[in-house]
Amino acid sequence: MNIKIAVIQFPGSNCDLDTLHVLNNVISNGVEAELIWHNNFKESNYDGCVLPGGFSFGDYLRSGIIAAHSPALDQARVMLKDGRPIIGICNGFQILTEAQFLPGALLQNDSLKFICKWVNIKVENNKTAFSNKMKKDQILNIPIAHGEGRYFTDNLKELVENNQIVFRYVNNRGEITKEANPNGSMESIAGVCNLEQNCLGLMPHPERASELILSPKETIHGLLFFDSMIEFIKKRSS
Amino acid sequence: MRKVKTKDTELEVDLTESEVKYIKDFLKREPTTTELGMLDIMWSEHCSYKSSRPKLKQFEDAEQNYDYVLAGPGQDAGVIDIGDGYCLSFRIESHNHPSAIEPYHGAMTGIGGIIRDVLCMGVRPIALLDPLRFGPLKNNPHSQWLFKYVVKGIADYGNCTGIPTIGGEVEFDKSFENNCLVNVACIGFGPIEDFKHAPSRADYPGDYLVLMGGSTGRDGIHGVTFASRTLTEMSEADRPAVQIGDPFTKKMIIEATLEAIKTGYVRGCKDLGGGGISCALSELTGNGGTGAEIDISKIFTREPGMNSFEIMLSESQERMAFVVQSEGLEKVLDVFKKFEISHAVIGKTDDSKILKIFDGNNLVVNLTSEALAHSPVIQREEKKPSYIDELLTQKTPDLTIEIDKVIYTLIGSENICSKEWIYRQYDHEVGVRSVVKCGDGDSGVLRLIGTNKFLAASVGVNSKHSFLDPYNGAKGGLVEVSGNVIANGAKPRAMVNCCNFGNPEKPESYWFFSQAVQGMADFCRVMRIPVIGGNVSFYNEDDVSHTTIKPTPTIMIVGIIEGEKNIVTLPFKKSGNEILIIGDTKAELGGSEYNSVVYNIEGGNPPKVDENQVKRTWNFLFELYDKHFVKANHDVNKGGFVITVAEMCFKNNFGADLDLTNCFDNSLRNDEVLFSESVGRFIIESEPKDYEKILKIAKKNNVTVKKIGILISSPEINITGIKNSKDIKLDLNKMKNLYDITIPNIMEI
Repeated sequence: MNIKIAVIQFPGSNCDLDTLHVLNNVISNGVEAELIWHNNFKESNYDGCVLPGGFSFGDYLRSGIIAAHSPALDQARVMLKDGRPIIGICNGFQILTEAQFLPGALLQNDSLKFICKWVNIKVENNKTAFSNKMKKDQILNIPIAHGEGRYFTDNLKELVENNQIVFRYVNNRGEITKEANPNGSMESIAGVCNLEQNCLGLMPHPERASELILSPKETIHGLLFFDSMIEFIKKRSS
Repeated sequence: MRKVKTKDTELEVDLTESEVKYIKDFLKREPTTTELGMLDIMWSEHCSYKSSRPKLKQFEDAEQNYDYVLAGPGQDAGVIDIGDGYCLSFRIESHNHPSAIEPYHGAMTGIGGIIRDVLCMGVRPIALLDPLRFGPLKNNPHSQWLFKYVVKGIADYGNCTGIPTIGGEVEFDKSFENNCLVNVACIGFGPIEDFKHAPSRADYPGDYLVLMGGSTGRDGIHGVTFASRTLTEMSEADRPAVQIGDPFTKKMIIEATLEAIKTGYVRGCKDLGGGGISCALSELTGNGGTGAEIDISKIFTREPGMNSFEIMLSESQERMAFVVQSEGLEKVLDVFKKFEISHAVIGKTDDSKILKIFDGNNLVVNLTSEALAHSPVIQREEKKPSYIDELLTQKTPDLTIEIDKVIYTLIGSENICSKEWIYRQYDHEVGVRSVVKCGDGDSGVLRLIGTNKFLAASVGVNSKHSFLDPYNGAKGGLVEVSGNVIANGAKPRAMVNCCNFGNPEKPESYWFFSQAVQGMADFCRVMRIPVIGGNVSFYNEDDVSHTTIKPTPTIMIVGIIEGEKNIVTLPFKKSGNEILIIGDTKAELGGSEYNSVVYNIEGGNPPKVDENQVKRTWNFLFELYDKHFVKANHDVNKGGFVITVAEMCFKNNFGADLDLTNCFDNSLRNDEVLFSESVGRFIIESEPKDYEKILKIAKKNNVTVKKIGILISSPEINITGIKNSKDIKLDLNKMKNLYDITIPNIMEI
């Protein structure tokens, strides 16, 4: 039986088709991803869901906050509770923090500018639904593209203790430095998960790093996120 | 501006006295205020091309002469068939005047407009490119302000709509200080079937006219007439004529439009840009040979109490008009409802050939579609400016400065230095198509999912060259921009242009325009490149400082690469490989960065173009590509070939040992050899084992090829063999640093 994954399309999502492309055309087999308009999303039809990048509702009030009140998030909350995997990429991460699926907030980059470039992130926790195919401390090449990606939390201690920091920005030697932190994120945090580790939010775009032809580094580390998700779903159902 | 009496009151218009008389004779009555306002817009330079049309006729008819051109000039955007059932649509236009007054929203709405032009051909916009021009940045807060906010406007709009900005160009020159140029280009991609559903025509009577998107407000009234004047001290007061962009609504419009077209019930589609709904309705009915009855009380407005004049002339952004088959109306409206986007059925087409506009029961406009679409043509005088000949004879002083110092200065000059500060702010990867990304090639290369093809696109022109010789300058722009896509392995398929010039009423300004158009038309005819669209922006001068911009016929070329293995990129690949220069270097320092940066002179002998030579060079390169002899390629551009070599070294930290002995015409001076910007040249990297074969192919094609050096693994460029001069050693780390820091040093506090 195919694994069914929902890619939720909010008004203003713009990485929805990209993510759908990777799930349906790049991942080898057994996955059936569907683009679903946020008002029509029914959780019971899916094994997991993706909140894609973009500018939901124009990010006009505050990034992600309007989408966080969409009926889609009520549906997603049911998924969250029963342990199905949910990933928020870029704007999806912003939505997940606004909806309090994940701790913290994403503030404007310290440069005050939008930044589009390839960065390195280090795997801090390889036990989550989206990192189980990675090695601890593995360095991943992956691009970012955001104006508001500076991670902030007033509860850092708890995050560290609970192993909720999943990815940190590093240089190509794996070191955490000021120069390697593209947006001024607290503790160079690039991605965090919930306590149960079935929900991940991150600013970088795995769907842009899943095909060799798009990769300036000759790596396809983005695929590891989706492969991990599939592995997680398979393990859950067995 | 003159006051004209109308049926109901009087109106200030830009129409000439004879045009007003023509209108009254044609109508055989006094026009209403709304009618006169509509005609004022439709007959403005911006909408009617009344000064430029006689010259634009020189471009050959693309649709007639090229079987793969599906839509040519005169449509919202050109369309070409690329095979496999897919097409590309693209266009370039200017948004100069609004951006000079309000850079952020001027640039935003420029992007918004060009996206709509491509969208209304029925295909998804997949790429943006932005050629920009400003005054020099250094010590110039005004230029910095324009630059910063134009870039921010493009970034905010493109990023939010999810269309990657894959390329662009920027020039800094004093002549653009008050009149910055913001040209915007968009490329769309989709099935030919979808394009066929969205002509800019209402061909059938009895179809519904549906307005969709943003509400109609008082912003932007008379935007086009404002763009058809020179800037004055009063222009700041025209700021309300600049519209406000709303990229989120645009994103919804893109998705809703594409989904509506998929229903199969859309029979025509037109964006509302300059001239607003007046322009859209008259073009739809005029092109289709139909008429329409419209009730403007149905139009959703941003504020109450707007009169028919304001509604018809509003240029509020983010609006589209659809012609919908009556039986499919509900299906199309359901799509708009899904996206929660405002829409209204505002009228129906008929076979009257008359556009009748009612405000409730009140008939406010009753004009034949013909009257609106057929503006008068003006034959302008042209005259070569008297200063040109003197400029052409200007001599570059003898080279007395040390050559390495000159090169360090050039690599950090504003026109040559890295533009990373700009493109880092653009999401250039959204869409998962960007194969050659900003900074990695001469052009942006996108894969076209669903085919085995890749598109390469580039924009630009050298305004310093065009200023000295607009005919060869425009041709040179074509050589360079085509060269950019060729350097990435693509065959140029079509071009669009954006002509930025001064006041056409001045014979000297009109001469530049006339010469440039002639140059582009001649080149494209010989090279078999169809011109599938264009835009003309006149009046780029200001009456305060009495400056006219340097003539800028911006060009965009879109090329196609067949298969991934045929993509060529810019960075050098392997130490020990050879560096070859392709093409002839001539004594052409006129308009060069060297002249400008080192001596602050604008004159001299600018590059000339010999189409036959260019053709031979291109054929030669394609033959090398077929044999996969080219490992890296970069066209020689501003600053000369040493700059080109350095740029190719940067990415993979290579260096080069160059020996120029017997590589160049012996009659050339050293500065001409090193810094001439002769067009049509390339630097390629090739393997030593292929050298003899390359020479053989060069000989067959009668193309000059010289081996100027080899790649080394240490970051330095060593140059020997310079006539009567000591050897030069350039530190590439120092060059890279100078290349990188120029713009951040100015723009970052």
